[in-house]
Amino acid sequence: MTSLSMDERWSLADAIAGRAVRTGVYTRSLADALGDLTISPLTGIPVAFAVLYAFWSIFSSFAGDLATDGFMVKLFDAHWLPWLQSVWPDPQSILYFLFVGDPAADNCFEAFGVLTSGLFVSIGVVLPAVFIFYLTMTVLEDSGYLPRLAVLADTLLHRIGLHGYAVVPMILGLGCNVPAITATRILETDKQRFMMMTLIAIFIPCGAQLGIMLAVIPESVGLVIFTLLFGFALFGFFFSRLLPGENPEILIDVPPYRRPTIENVSRKLRIRTMGFLREAVPFVLLGVLLVNILYLTGTIDRLSSALAPIFVVWFGVPPETVGPLVAAFLRKDLAVAQLSTIPMTAYQMFASVILVSIYFPCVATFVMLLQEGWKFLGGAILALMTVVFLYGGLIHLAGMLLGVA
Amino acid sequence: MNGKIALRTLSVVAGTAALLLGLADILVWIGGSGPFEIGFMQIAGDDFFRWAWGGAVVACGGLLLIAGGLRGAGLEGRARALLGAVLVSLIAGCDIFGMICTSIPAGEESEAFFNSVAGFIGGFAPPYTPAVLLLPFMLAIAFFLLREEAT
Amino acid sequence: MRLLDRFFSCHCSGGTAPDAGCDHEGTLLLIGNPNVGKSALFNRLTGGSATVSNYPGTTVDVTRGSLIADHQVWEVIDVPGAYSLEPRDAAEEVATRIVAEHPDAVAVAVLDATRIERGLYLLLQVLEGGMRTVVAVNMIDAARAKGVLVDTAALQQLLGVPVVSTAATTGEGIRDLVGILHKAQVANLATVRDRLAGKTPQTRVNLPGCAGCGRCG
Repeated sequence: MTSLSMDERWSLADAIAGRAVRTGVYTRSLADALGDLTISPLTGIPVAFAVLYAFWSIFSSFAGDLATDGFMVKLFDAHWLPWLQSVWPDPQSILYFLFVGDPAADNCFEAFGVLTSGLFVSIGVVLPAVFIFYLTMTVLEDSGYLPRLAVLADTLLHRIGLHGYAVVPMILGLGCNVPAITATRILETDKQRFMMMTLIAIFIPCGAQLGIMLAVIPESVGLVIFTLLFGFALFGFFFSRLLPGENPEILIDVPPYRRPTIENVSRKLRIRTMGFLREAVPFVLLGVLLVNILYLTGTIDRLSSALAPIFVVWFGVPPETVGPLVAAFLRKDLAVAQLSTIPMTAYQMFASVILVSIYFPCVATFVMLLQEGWKFLGGAILALMTVVFLYGGLIHLAGMLLGVA
Repeated sequence: MNGKIALRTLSVVAGTAALLLGLADILVWIGGSGPFEIGFMQIAGDDFFRWAWGGAVVACGGLLLIAGGLRGAGLEGRARALLGAVLVSLIAGCDIFGMICTSIPAGEESEAFFNSVAGFIGGFAPPYTPAVLLLPFMLAIAFFLLREEAT
Repeated sequence: MRLLDRFFSCHCSGGTAPDAGCDHEGTLLLIGNPNVGKSALFNRLTGGSATVSNYPGTTVDVTRGSLIADHQVWEVIDVPGAYSLEPRDAAEEVATRIVAEHPDAVAVAVLDATRIERGLYLLLQVLEGGMRTVVAVNMIDAARAKGVLVDTAALQQLLGVPVVSTAATTGEGIRDLVGILHKAQVANLATVRDRLAGKTPQTRVNLPGCAGCGRCG
């Protein structure tokens, strides 16, 4: 361990600097300047807003206007349904009711048979939604913008005890909660993972839900999303205070901006869409079948009358929403579709959609949580019950104060 | 030199227009009193995302254009102006994509699935949103800025 | 809270006994001049877990936090900014004492890429002290804006310690920095002088995180 005099040190420092530093070599390009603008908060936030806007606009134009309203509705209501109704024998039979639905129905939504509503919901509404969602998300991911969005979101999310990179599972959750839960493995501590998993399962609506909401209650979708995100922030804040454990920083790898390649994007898109289809379609069909059976056996009616007081008084929604809530365990999009057939006021519709979204994860998510550990699942269910009662009651209160409930 | 000053002036002027129109989008949405039409331009003001959120983006794009134009011919100014043009073009692009998506299908009344060619083209008739009207100027500004970079 | 504690035992909370797969690695000292972005770097590494306290007997604040990465825990100390470890004011006094108190810690020397010479002076003092060191050339984005290029590979080969470039405000290079903490080296200043004079052949390996010390053969 040598010890130098001050002068020796300075000359050594200068010599090293002389070797290591070159000025005027690197000329900054327009691309670099643009890249920096997207990160610095003052200019970066408008960029983030714009990107999120484009995300949403493309989603609703493609899935809502083009695919579902433009083609799918016509295909299913004007062609598939009449054909099925004419071909399936014995309109009064139970099998007809289960698989084709109400013989008097003239559109696939209200028919509620496995092959009518089931297929319509999964292929007519959800498939285009999931497809365009994954397309835009993969482009965003491959371009390298997602980590920068995380960096921007970091300061904001710190207030509720999360970190910027938590925005990635959140965005993934908007497609489907299942991969989002897996994505929480990038987090370091149990507390962070549990928080993210639970908050996602409760508050982040999946693409299927979003698709159906666009179709059924287009004017309230914005408010629903806002209420869910607000709940996310609110309860996230409390969870981070109440739960023991550490909340260390997440290290984000910020790659340079790249141009997404068609091969990569289409490969990821194909994998994700096929995966989603494999899980979605069977569950939706199963869901319709089960719900129909429950209706036939009168279980729904019994549950309805038993739980009616809670629903009407505490949550402010009509007791018929029990049926959809049962369906919501299987698939949330189905539940929203069912809700739309129940006559109720705009506020009640809004409140029941929120309830359906937060009250229980769909079975796929349920299985995912189970895979992560039964302790996580148990804790999640506990948290869920608390949130549903508190938030549901809060919304009802707000509704009453505003005079709409 | 003359060309550069012209470009910066255009940037400031277009930026001011974008800022004002973006704010107008938001105001019409807040007011809630239905579509606001002048000549070719229409601000529907009904949907939160398009008019409040999207209007805010257009306004920010306008601010960036103004800031870029005022900052001078250096790299920072050009980058800001370019970013502003990109933001407004993004909104306009989404509007156009929306027009395409609504014009491809034939509509509820008709039996057919696809719209006729005439019907498709008809979907692009005026009136347009402010962002779409600003689009040609945005593209021009971006084009000249990129060309300046290449030289 | 007890019940919840058992329910959600965090494997990596610094105080409790280490669980399987979670090791307490040691201490990091962030050492550097004032205004080199040390605090930003500290925040990037530790997030919201920092505690600020006075160094005993002084009014100088010392910020401590934990860095948890890949199931390893480091205690991180943001040493007060100093230009030299021959102290001339209270902050430098505290900095010198902290360095003396943690001889086994890993020193993360934070330099401002746009003003490297001053930082190098302090870095040399740290290296003289015989601590394992890594170098973070920070504010690399500001350097780029000024057209200044820092050749981190050359720096690494000269000094024989790992060097990475970082931009704490944007997050660039932070992951790389954490990745090389294990490769911190004790430098030999005589060898550095030889290398400057061109005597010892410099290793030609240019891998990020390779200290070029030749010890891996």
